[in-house]
Amino acid sequence: MPSDPEPQVLEVDQVSYAYLGRFPALDQVSLRIAAGERVALLGANGGGKSTLLKILAGLVFADSGQYRAFGQPVDEDVLEDEQFNEAFRSRLGFVFQNTDAQLFSPTVRDELAFGPLNMGLEPDQAAQRVDDLLDLLEIAHLADRAPYQLSEGQKKRVAIASVLVMNPEVLLFDEPTAALDPATQVWFLDLLDDLHRAGKTLVVATHDLATIDRLADRRIVLGEDHRISGP
Amino acid sequence: MTLIDDRSDLDPPSGPAPSTGATAPTAPARRSVAPEWLTATEIGLCPCGCIGKRKKGNVVAKTLNGTANVARQAIYADEMASAPGLLQRLDPRTKLIGLLALLVVASLSHSLVVLVALYLMTLVLAFASRLPVWSFVKRVWLFIPVFTALVVLPATLNVITPGHIVVPLGHWWFGGAIGLTSQGLRGAALITARVAVSVSLAVLVTFTTSWPRLLTALRSLGVPRMFVTVAAMAHRYIFHLLDSVTDMYTARRARTVRPESVDGLRRFVGASAGSLFGKANHLTVEVHQAMVARGYVGEARTLVPSALGPLDVGALASVAVLASALVVLGHAVAL
Repeated sequence: MPSDPEPQVLEVDQVSYAYLGRFPALDQVSLRIAAGERVALLGANGGGKSTLLKILAGLVFADSGQYRAFGQPVDEDVLEDEQFNEAFRSRLGFVFQNTDAQLFSPTVRDELAFGPLNMGLEPDQAAQRVDDLLDLLEIAHLADRAPYQLSEGQKKRVAIASVLVMNPEVLLFDEPTAALDPATQVWFLDLLDDLHRAGKTLVVATHDLATIDRLADRRIVLGEDHRISGP
Repeated sequence: MTLIDDRSDLDPPSGPAPSTGATAPTAPARRSVAPEWLTATEIGLCPCGCIGKRKKGNVVAKTLNGTANVARQAIYADEMASAPGLLQRLDPRTKLIGLLALLVVASLSHSLVVLVALYLMTLVLAFASRLPVWSFVKRVWLFIPVFTALVVLPATLNVITPGHIVVPLGHWWFGGAIGLTSQGLRGAALITARVAVSVSLAVLVTFTTSWPRLLTALRSLGVPRMFVTVAAMAHRYIFHLLDSVTDMYTARRARTVRPESVDGLRRFVGASAGSLFGKANHLTVEVHQAMVARGYVGEARTLVPSALGPLDVGALASVAVLASALVVLGHAVAL
């Protein structure tokens, strides 16, 4: 008897999006991502990879088409429901390409605590998670530093930690290896392997073809026509 | 980008092909697709050396250097705040409460002895906190003459503060004497001493406390959360935007071959301001998205600071005793 297929955690159906209603970013895009999958989004600059990730993260909303996450439709109205918003945000984490946008708190410790506290964790539970992540990602020595005092590699570690601390099921990464030195790239790829083994679903938008085999099991290519053109 | 087009359907280069003396197949001919000027060498510096006119940096460069220097000072201040000194070991809440108490004492005191004693205490604290004492003194006393002289000096004259003239300055055209009065000079000394003590206390706290810890202390002492959040973000991103401006200017400078005209600089400043506004706006949107992605729904929750330790309790008790003693001393002494 064949085993049950993995449930689809993210389902995008015929989604289109245009900035300011005039500049198309996505055109009739459909894709399914199963639980535990590792997917890479490839494509030229301006192809719509970041926009697609932001739609998956519920940060921008499609002009047409439907997006479902964890079996539930996700749109602006649904996310106004506090309970749904809290559940959705805690199950899906997004690591931005621009770490300066992601690290907005006065210190690294505050940055890591932001998500758990907003999830409703008690301060002592949040503090414990923060301490655990600081140790896990080897950034405990940066805990009381301000983000502007960090190098790009350190900022990326903190940005990843600030999302991992919420323990999401799905992790979205936008150009995670850009601007990283080789040692930090290796560290990041090892971390992705660990997360994959832990059963996390990983979606990575990247240009980095050198690391693609380690980043993903499946590749989705967004063409210059803003449609999916890959396998 | 390639400057060579290696498509095989291109015409072969003109002229006879070089003889290779072998029968091996030759590679397809490649033709340059770059315009001729791009492959030619630009005339650079005259080989006879630097014989042009030299020009000092312009106002934009000076302004940017100045602001970059402010940023460097902020980072230096963070280093001082993490030094192993006396005040650095105290909780920021203790320092803020102590600052407030001593500011009240200084503001209400009419005794020069009390104010001088307080000022000497700030010097001792600066030394015990491993701050560069001379730099600390300079920072306070360079600021005071500018901001107090205009206010204080007229009040020393008998026409503003009547009293016993101790330094005669002459006569008005209608015959009345004019000069500095002892009452006026005492008042001026009091105001100057109050400002010096207040500024010294504030500098002590800011030099020995990192900005993030200071904000946390403000939050826990009841300052509205929204105010603290806005202040924290402003501090966080001002360095980032400053870097953007410096990068823009450096990039322009790297491509500036001839001296820049004032009009050109003005246009650059205008364009930079517009560009920076656009960047700041884009950054604002992304920061908000990053907050929303981690569960922000309008109220930022933060970690609760730990309880005050014995050192802080002792420091607060000392400040209370000191403040009371200074108030009593102020009433006891005539000067």
